[in-house]
Amino acid sequence: MSIDVTGVTKTFGDFVALDNVNVSLPTGQLTALLGPSGGGKSTLLRIIAGLDTADTGTVSIEGVNATKLPPQKRNVGFVFQHYAVFKHMTVAKNVAFGLEIRKRPKDEVAARVDELLKLVHLSQFSHRLPSQLSGGQRQRMALARALAVEPTVLLLDEPFGALDAKVRKELREWLRRLHDEVAVTTVFVTHDQEEALEVADEIVVINEGRVEQVGSPDQLYDEPANDFVMGFLGEVTNLGPMTLRPHDIEVSTAPLLAGAVEGTVSRVVRIGFEVRLSVLTVDGQEVMVVLTRTHSRSLGLVEATTVWLTPATGAVVIPSMRPALVG
Amino acid sequence: MVKVSTPVRWLLRVIAVGYVFFLVAWPVSLVAIRTFEDGTEDFFGIFTDPNTVGALQLTLMVALWAVAINLVFGVTISLLLVRYEFPGKRVLSALIDLPLSVSPVVVGLALLLVFSGRTGWFGPSIEEAGWQVIYDSPGMIMATCFVALPLVIREVVPVLTEIGDDQEQAARSLGANGRQTFLRITLPSIKWAVIYGVVLSLARSLGEFGAVKVVSGNITGRTQTATLIVEAKYQNFEQTTAYSVAFLLAFISIACLIVVAFLRPQHEEA
Repeated sequence: MSIDVTGVTKTFGDFVALDNVNVSLPTGQLTALLGPSGGGKSTLLRIIAGLDTADTGTVSIEGVNATKLPPQKRNVGFVFQHYAVFKHMTVAKNVAFGLEIRKRPKDEVAARVDELLKLVHLSQFSHRLPSQLSGGQRQRMALARALAVEPTVLLLDEPFGALDAKVRKELREWLRRLHDEVAVTTVFVTHDQEEALEVADEIVVINEGRVEQVGSPDQLYDEPANDFVMGFLGEVTNLGPMTLRPHDIEVSTAPLLAGAVEGTVSRVVRIGFEVRLSVLTVDGQEVMVVLTRTHSRSLGLVEATTVWLTPATGAVVIPSMRPALVG
Repeated sequence: MVKVSTPVRWLLRVIAVGYVFFLVAWPVSLVAIRTFEDGTEDFFGIFTDPNTVGALQLTLMVALWAVAINLVFGVTISLLLVRYEFPGKRVLSALIDLPLSVSPVVVGLALLLVFSGRTGWFGPSIEEAGWQVIYDSPGMIMATCFVALPLVIREVVPVLTEIGDDQEQAARSLGANGRQTFLRITLPSIKWAVIYGVVLSLARSLGEFGAVKVVSGNITGRTQTATLIVEAKYQNFEQTTAYSVAFLLAFISIACLIVVAFLRPQHEEA
């Protein structure tokens, strides 16, 4: 294991940011720390980097106990949400910073900077100042700067959080390809479940300072450990005593299966190819169902239609822990 | 912006310009006029009087020391105030503004109470150790430091706050230690604010009168600074010399202001 976090607790005044967190992050993989804002995931990343210190617990990186090491001795690369570029230095100087600190020979530094700028497609900008770059370019520069020191682990704190949706998506794919090329152990923090599902090999779901679940994207989506994980990775609704995804509910206009729940369609909303139904069951529960436009039309669903709902075969179903909520 | 009618606008302009003219421009220009009333001879004459030359040298020495000390402590205290949390931080911040509101004479008297060789709280013991503070340059440098203390800090603190500590953290994660981070990242970012603060401190230090007068003892030829000699000469009916030295002081201050005005646009860009 590349990074081992054992029993880490961190409080800010009365607020418990991390509550006895234990997690091991494997070598060479791209791991996402996923969770809602304020859930402690950035704090965990900063503790791994040494930018914050844990109240209790230990962090070891590649088998070395790093708990007491200052950030500059941990050999980690860190990429910040707001880039943290060195404003008074050119792009090339920014990338060279870590190497110059390490007193590497000049020609070696120049060669490495060249190579990295090529990797992040910024070669033609090497003499510009960061203020002349776009947000996406600045973040790629920051990534090159972090990679320059050949870190044991690369840590990214909401790296695409400050970028617009389109650039975000491009950089996300690019990060995945970059990771396949350089294969350094990478951990990134995100609150965007789509980003985590798309990019990561492994996802650690963190909420209210605790690790809720660790697993591959498929495991998390198909076998959520609890209703929080299930709810965070996609839409959920309650059907009788269970929680499941709205697109995993089968709708029929006749009571074909035993155990089907009877209800009336109370609202129909169409968004492109998708149709969202609110169904009020005879027990007074409001269930959300999503189906395709074609399917909905073939069933002839309109408001006030009486329908029977059953979980689809193979649906992910967990017992609902909360009282039946709306939606 | 609210529209103001033309006559009102003109009235406001006349009031503003008139106020500055009668309060600042006219009196200061009179000093220059008096200085050069009989040609440049009187002005350059001050450089032949050993007491005046000594006073100017002393002023420069005291000012440079005070600026150097305030530079080091100013930047350090600014970093402390912006980057660290500690009990008493707000008190420290308020204390730093004290020299702006307290009369320099009070500062001088306060220093006298602590360091005076005969009656001071601390003075006799350091005098025994061979250190003369009051009626000598250490006391004058201290007094000047005190009055110029907030100038560097008040310039640097807002800039440090604005740039945040992201860049410093990035430098740390890239392997830089505290000293390297300060020299390579923090200092270049606050460079213009520091220069601006230094220029202001220098102007303030050269012109300090009240505090220095109290602690220096105003001994002619030994602890008399340029501002003190202006007063002494004026009272001794050597008006021309007084005007000449006064003009020199005003000239240096204006030169400082021009330098500042020249630096300002770059300072705002950075």
